[in-house]
Amino acid sequence: MTVPRPANRKKIKDKDFELIQAINSGQFDRFPDLVKRYEQKLYNFSLRMCRDAADAEDTVQETFLNVFRYLKNFRYETKFKNWLYRVAASTCIKKRRKSKFAPERELSLDEFFPQDEAEVPDQVPKWALRPLDKLLNDELLDKINEAIFTLPEKYRLVIVLRDIEGFSTAETAQILNLSDANVKVRLHRARLFLRDKLKGYFENE
Amino acid sequence: MNKNEHDHKHCLELFQKLSEYLDNELDEVSCKEIEKHIKECVPCFVCLQTLKRTVDLCKQAGNRPVPKDFSKKLKEVIQNMPKTPPAG
Repeated sequence: MTVPRPANRKKIKDKDFELIQAINSGQFDRFPDLVKRYEQKLYNFSLRMCRDAADAEDTVQETFLNVFRYLKNFRYETKFKNWLYRVAASTCIKKRRKSKFAPERELSLDEFFPQDEAEVPDQVPKWALRPLDKLLNDELLDKINEAIFTLPEKYRLVIVLRDIEGFSTAETAQILNLSDANVKVRLHRARLFLRDKLKGYFENE
Repeated sequence: MNKNEHDHKHCLELFQKLSEYLDNELDEVSCKEIEKHIKECVPCFVCLQTLKRTVDLCKQAGNRPVPKDFSKKLKEVIQNMPKTPPAG
């Protein structure tokens, strides 16, 4: 996957640039600052990928150890955060266990496209019309997180990076080593899967 | 368009692009096509609205605090790492 890069490629100076430079110049006592900066984000990312809290903790620890080990190789060709998530995603994938909650399977578009007359909606349901702040409560947030857990891993990775962590399509593609088109396809299917889960929840409310 | 016509090929074609539409990742022609279509097709309009709401809700999923015991353990592991990372 090594692509020859021009020697004078411009370094990306993001908010972590100075801290990374300090650590790489020998100030190893600054590494805990980097951990503090990303600990909560990585913990939640890992929890969403592993589901199990102990596995998520192992993954976060392993990710930071890998970051420390390979930080010297970071070339500032991307934002540090993107590189960090690439390490984290790869650590999560290695750690994965077969999940009875989210068996690996392909999601096809057909399963989400309403075809039977009874399934075809004729009006926008209330849950899609009410103001977001009137709709949100702890129970619903639990349902959303539960629904995310049930997504097959390859779709979950994409929707978590795009809609929860806020990475762009191009950044997600880079983190997961996928094409932009592939990210878009997986994201759309993941969203449709979640939409069906939410629909089920609101219909049975 | 009534309910019986919703298996129309055109609906399915646009259905595939709804996330890209919501993410502003479609070209102008496709955007206009979707906007025109959802004015005429209630099922596709509903699909778009419920998908949009799903994305809005997903963005609110929130973060849990890091358990204090784990944070402490992680700090100790980091402090006890060899001070010089291996050359890579």
